[in-house]
Amino acid sequence: MSKLQTFIEQQRKEKPILLMTHVVYGYPTIDESLALMRDLLNEGVELLEVQFPFSDPSADGPSILHACHQALQQRPTLARCLEDIALLAEDFPASRILLMSYLNPLYRYGLERLPADAAAAGIAGLIIPDLPLELAADFRHSCVEARIEPIWMLTPETPPARMQQICDAASGMLYCVSRRGVTGADSHNSGNSQQVPLEDYLAAIRATTPLPLGVGFGIRTGVQVKALHGMADIAVVGSGLLDAFNHGGRSAALEQVRSLRG
Amino acid sequence: MQSDKGFFGRFGGSYIPEILHASQQALLDAWNQARVDSDFLAEVDRELQQYSGRPTPLTPCPNLTRELGGAQVFLKREDLNHSGAHKMNNVIGQGLLVKRMGKKRIIAETGAGQHGVASALIAARLGLECTIYMGARDIERQYPNVFWMKQLGATVVPVTSGGQTLRDALDEALRDWSADPSGSHYLLGTACGCAPYPEMVAEFQSVIGREVRAQSLQQFGTLPDSIYACVGGGSNAAGIMLPFIDDQSVELVGVEAGGRGPAPGDHSIRLSDDLGSPGIAQGFATMFLQDDQGQLMETHSIAAGLDYVGVSPILAHLNDTGRVRMTAANDDEVMHAFQALLRLEGIIPALESSHAVAGALRDIPAMSPDKKVVINISGRGDKDIFNVASAVKDAEFGPFLQRYLARELQA
Repeated sequence: MSKLQTFIEQQRKEKPILLMTHVVYGYPTIDESLALMRDLLNEGVELLEVQFPFSDPSADGPSILHACHQALQQRPTLARCLEDIALLAEDFPASRILLMSYLNPLYRYGLERLPADAAAAGIAGLIIPDLPLELAADFRHSCVEARIEPIWMLTPETPPARMQQICDAASGMLYCVSRRGVTGADSHNSGNSQQVPLEDYLAAIRATTPLPLGVGFGIRTGVQVKALHGMADIAVVGSGLLDAFNHGGRSAALEQVRSLRG
Repeated sequence: MQSDKGFFGRFGGSYIPEILHASQQALLDAWNQARVDSDFLAEVDRELQQYSGRPTPLTPCPNLTRELGGAQVFLKREDLNHSGAHKMNNVIGQGLLVKRMGKKRIIAETGAGQHGVASALIAARLGLECTIYMGARDIERQYPNVFWMKQLGATVVPVTSGGQTLRDALDEALRDWSADPSGSHYLLGTACGCAPYPEMVAEFQSVIGREVRAQSLQQFGTLPDSIYACVGGGSNAAGIMLPFIDDQSVELVGVEAGGRGPAPGDHSIRLSDDLGSPGIAQGFATMFLQDDQGQLMETHSIAAGLDYVGVSPILAHLNDTGRVRMTAANDDEVMHAFQALLRLEGIIPALESSHAVAGALRDIPAMSPDKKVVINISGRGDKDIFNVASAVKDAEFGPFLQRYLARELQA
């Protein structure tokens, strides 16, 4: 069993659900984003997801898209981001940090060397929404060598056979996208085709894998988090937290986190 | 050109969020069946002829030839398609595929607006709902096209994020597709994006090259010696070039947008001059204009349709192998070429296509008079009236608009 899975399962013994809070590195500045990360870790969030910004975040909705574009004004580098995360990981050993970014900045850095460098920085897992499993053989190998978890995503559109395939390949945890569309509040017309109810979707995943399940996309209230009790292990909050931060700064973001704990 | 599981050498692939995977696979299956179905192919051919007016002519240019004093110049007249651009070839093909798949809604991105207009036309003809994403900056440059899209019943959504051009529109179209992957078809307008788009769009556009081949043999008894095409996303270039890929005697030249110069943000040169570098974004691997952190850069061209940060993986591969020679023409050369074609041959090319003309004008004087050069006029220039009026500093255009506005405000 991976270190990340062990950590999540131990935490879950005392808590009905864990929180994964998301912060865009460099938004609104690098220092302010790091201060927010420290606040969140001080507040005791079990998992922190750090997004290294990319100019074209195609799976993100308006809130995170805007934050990424603002963050890029700071000209962040992945090397410095890894250094900053290493300091956080050292100061907050009771939580785990995951790095999320789109493929191109990571490809530019070197997809082969990233897992080892990220692991050395104390990062527990890597989330890359535009890297599909079938094109990731070399990356997965590098992750195994570096003992860091590549975190794969499942969605309500993922057919059963592929769900099985992804679950078989996964380790650490799975990121279950709660619904169609992009991150944040619904911004596009989601069409007429029926969506599977969330509980059926999560039950189907639960029946396929014993790995911890994180649920994200559109999760922003304590009621939503509570509704996930018993169906998932981790609630992932991204745009909701960012919207709170944009509204009232770090204190509002912390209030939001407390309200999610219910 | 057949891909190897979606790859063309080191480029291509399908790097998309998991939410789109099932829909992308369904498209791949539908395309693989349709491409070998003679009924489907016959239906596409019929629509190309009866709706778009194909075949488009191969027009000799005796005056331009005389003026240049080198090779003989011929133009492939994609500007004479319905909608005024080669974009129609692709939307007819994909539109009929959408009907076959039973989907009711299409999403499209557009730069200059030509693909947007073509998508809106085919949506009206086939009874499909149509949403078009267009960069707010491009809307400012090409409002007349937006006007027609709306008149045709399409919903046009301005994209205000990033540089507000084609690449941002493409990201937003992907986001829309993610919200309704099984109900909507993403009608991508160029030979870019995840598999099977590059291969499928290039195949629908290859009617251009197949016609050139037959017309050359008929009109001058041999294949052309050189073919020039502008390269934005790369679909008109792939379309005219791919049917000649095995004819080593035919030189294939792609012309990118040199813009104002080689400084970052001033051009859209991905393949020539070593300005681009390998990357993976917008669903596929290709040569992108990007910084050392892998952030995609802003681009510029006088022609909105060439103002794109990536390029077809097919052309990136053919540039790798040396089969296609890539070059660039800057904004000034393009305006000169545009005016030459107007004055000498009475043809108004799109500013995009004028890049191909500019590239050819540079080489033709040094070529022997028995050589034949074909330039792809991918679209007509009427849409560029505002930009051209501004570039040629027409004294009457501004006052005309003021009088028009004054009349409209009174009415």
